[in-house]
Amino acid sequence: MIGKDKLFELFEKVAKSSKADETEIVYIGSNFGLTRFANSIIHQNVNEANCKILIRTILGKKIGVASTNSLSYADLKATLSNSIEIAKYQKDNKHFPGLPGPEKYAEINTYFENTALYSPKDRARQVKKIFIRANKRKFLTAGAFATGDGEIAVFNTKGVRCYQTVTNASVNIIAMSGTSSGYSVGLSRKVEDIDAVVLADIAVEKAYLGKKPKPLEAGDYEVILEPAAVAALIEWVNYIGFGSKAYIDKTSFLSDNIGKKVMADSVTMYDDGLDQAAISMPFDFEGVPKKKVYFIEKGIGKGVVFDRITGNREGVPSTGHGLTASDHGQGAIPLNIFIETGNKSLAEMIASVKRGVLVTRFHYINGFIDTPKLVLTGMTRDGTYLIEDGQIKHGVKNLRFTDSMLRAFSTVKGISPERQLIPSWWDSVGCIAAPAFHLGAFKFTGTTDF
Amino acid sequence: MKDKLNNVLDWLKEKKVDYADARFVRIESEAIRVTDGIVDTLTKDVNVGVGIRVLHDGAWGFAAVASVKEADIKKTANKALQTARASATTVKEKAKLAEVKAYKDHYKSPCEKDPFSIPVDDKVGLLMELSDRLRSDSKIKTAEASADFYKTNKVFCSTEGAAIEQDIIESGAGYTATSYDGKEVQKRSYPNSHRGDFATRGYEFIEEMKLLDNVDRTREEAIQLLTADDCPDAETDIIICGSQMALQVHESCGHPSELDRVLGTEISLAGGSFMQIDGLNKLKYGSDIVNIFADATIPGALGSFGYDDEGVKAQRAPIIQNGLHVGYLTSRETAPIIGQTSNGTMRADGWNRLPLIRMTNINLEPGEWKLEDLIADTRDGIFFDMNKVWSIDDKRLNFQFGVECAWEIKSGKLGRMLKNPLYTGMTPKFWNSCDAICNRNYWHIWGVPNCGKGEPMQTARVAHGAAPARFRKVKVGVSK
Repeated sequence: MIGKDKLFELFEKVAKSSKADETEIVYIGSNFGLTRFANSIIHQNVNEANCKILIRTILGKKIGVASTNSLSYADLKATLSNSIEIAKYQKDNKHFPGLPGPEKYAEINTYFENTALYSPKDRARQVKKIFIRANKRKFLTAGAFATGDGEIAVFNTKGVRCYQTVTNASVNIIAMSGTSSGYSVGLSRKVEDIDAVVLADIAVEKAYLGKKPKPLEAGDYEVILEPAAVAALIEWVNYIGFGSKAYIDKTSFLSDNIGKKVMADSVTMYDDGLDQAAISMPFDFEGVPKKKVYFIEKGIGKGVVFDRITGNREGVPSTGHGLTASDHGQGAIPLNIFIETGNKSLAEMIASVKRGVLVTRFHYINGFIDTPKLVLTGMTRDGTYLIEDGQIKHGVKNLRFTDSMLRAFSTVKGISPERQLIPSWWDSVGCIAAPAFHLGAFKFTGTTDF
Repeated sequence: MKDKLNNVLDWLKEKKVDYADARFVRIESEAIRVTDGIVDTLTKDVNVGVGIRVLHDGAWGFAAVASVKEADIKKTANKALQTARASATTVKEKAKLAEVKAYKDHYKSPCEKDPFSIPVDDKVGLLMELSDRLRSDSKIKTAEASADFYKTNKVFCSTEGAAIEQDIIESGAGYTATSYDGKEVQKRSYPNSHRGDFATRGYEFIEEMKLLDNVDRTREEAIQLLTADDCPDAETDIIICGSQMALQVHESCGHPSELDRVLGTEISLAGGSFMQIDGLNKLKYGSDIVNIFADATIPGALGSFGYDDEGVKAQRAPIIQNGLHVGYLTSRETAPIIGQTSNGTMRADGWNRLPLIRMTNINLEPGEWKLEDLIADTRDGIFFDMNKVWSIDDKRLNFQFGVECAWEIKSGKLGRMLKNPLYTGMTPKFWNSCDAICNRNYWHIWGVPNCGKGEPMQTARVAHGAAPARFRKVKVGVSK
């Protein structure tokens, strides 16, 4: 860790030499370790000490961005020069409102020393516990256990001085019998929250329950989606629906549906970067405080998130969801999504189903079929079961679904009272806090051989 | 740099490691995106560091640092060693590496015009013109044009004496028009979707793309799609364009033939493979005309290089021959398991990542048909053009792909345009239904810049040579 004082002292010096009208420097540094296992041995075990420094310079309404991973003053000066050179070549960005000034930021604890100090040996010890639990049923395991710490600083010549230290810990486990597999996942800023034994047992029991799966015909089924399955769907709903670019481009289902009924009354989804139950952060990469934003409230379309440029374009303030300057073309994206809970336990959901499918998780979802209608496709994996007369009968071979999430989430029959934190697939800083859902209709359009 | 890397490797040898290698990588990149006449991204990035891989007591450790200081590199080597020791506590069978010649060489990729020496104004000007022409009709809601350039210098040294330097330049560009009429949203791209086409070449590749020549057609097709009929639900013959064939090869042959995946080491993320070792030289993967090769030696293709990140020289290797599964993509650790030496496909996406088996140029070899003859030979069917949606199960069997646009084929002629086209199938059945592939005149190597694999995630740039091909009795239109 470099530390707040050293970083800002260095950035003051670099910014002082800047000939741009405004200058922003964003620092993201991390020490990261990941222990990956398969066939119940550790086969990949990696550590990375890295950082990224992004310098955004403004000449009038022209914006230049350059970045480096070297903190040496000479390299930062060269990056600053590159950024100014790029800005000179730029065309005016009429939507750019200038860099933000300082605001009041929430004080939240996102750093836990035990996680930061976690070593490859510590991770190996946890991973071995997973192997032992799986071996009791002679199952093999695959997965990854990751821990790391980092610091994020946002500095600009308008007075923004944001700084936060963070830690992260996550694990994913797949337990495998000869004919089936089961899955579990954990995520927290505190490594102590990750109980490898409990999670291993969940994955093992799922694989055991699904042994010798039988084929099930494709069709419209009542489904119970466990939190990992819900999060995988909502991750795509987020990607194609909750960001500012999709909203502006009219490719989002919310573009023409604000104030309209889009899902069942029981469905509420929002982003809250300040809720410490998730992977919270007090500010975004422009130094704007995070605001709570509702996307769907009681089934009604409410809004999307904005950064400074896309917000200004739409005549609204930033909601504190700006990405780093190199990704501003993507618009703003939510990173801490919460789905509101209900009052029906998973056991009650299963007991209420006459004939339906229980889904642990999905694989390889794609949401580009028809984004305004939220049509997604993907496969089930690592634990799909047939429910008959209120009981899990047996595992079923994996199924392909192709369905509109507007349709599926309009048929909600129940939501669980607790939710689980699921890491985002494509971004280590994002997560979704998801409960289990009982849906009245979900369209499976294909089958596979295992 | 070689001296610094060798010094730390000497130190590791003193620690009695089984094997170690060290990679210095410097990547300079430039990204330009123009959306609706505004340059919303114009960035330059420089990324430098060293990664060290250690095999000790038959187990692996890897550590990487964003520094080129010798003291930092040594500290990192020690971290890699300690990590290997932690891994060794779970070893069942010690990892063994296939023999490889310890090359000392300097490879440079072909490049006529260094894209970083082309004035930014010229590059922005071209994208601006494309964006302006795409949005010249009010039905175009968003017009995006982009270009990306990468310049990589890497130095690889190993405890076996390898010392290889490589300088690689990659370039790519493309554009997309998104149309909207208040009810419907459609997209049309050129020369390919998902950021266009890429090659391990210089700016001359961008100049040869005919970007401006195709902009009006792309815009008009995006608008036509708004009023096109939906792709019907049916079982029918289909002809798939070259760029979509590239993705078909990528997902249903490239990934399942990665031997690390076959051996289970990618299960935790993207899954396993149906192409198991007991099917080698037995599995009838496709019809007799299906021949698929991995070939990292093709000058200028995005999946080409001099040496992989284990120091193995680039090669051409068969995967499918006359429809039979005959080979895998291998590494030094996996190849001995099937009694072979590595065919050189281990690559990392930077100094900070562990090399994994990655696709090179995985090519469907051309057939003998002219496209017009193939269409004329098809009584009823659909022509699928340019990828929009991709999804496949975790053993790479059940797939479903959607494209931006399709055309009905009736009595050997292209007919009405169809929107939201999807086709689906099971991999071996699908490839066994392939009865015609177009000839070399229609064959092109499509650069795929965003192939994801591994934990932590790595993004590789790979490529696929393909020509349009016909498949019989495929399920289409399973959309809503």
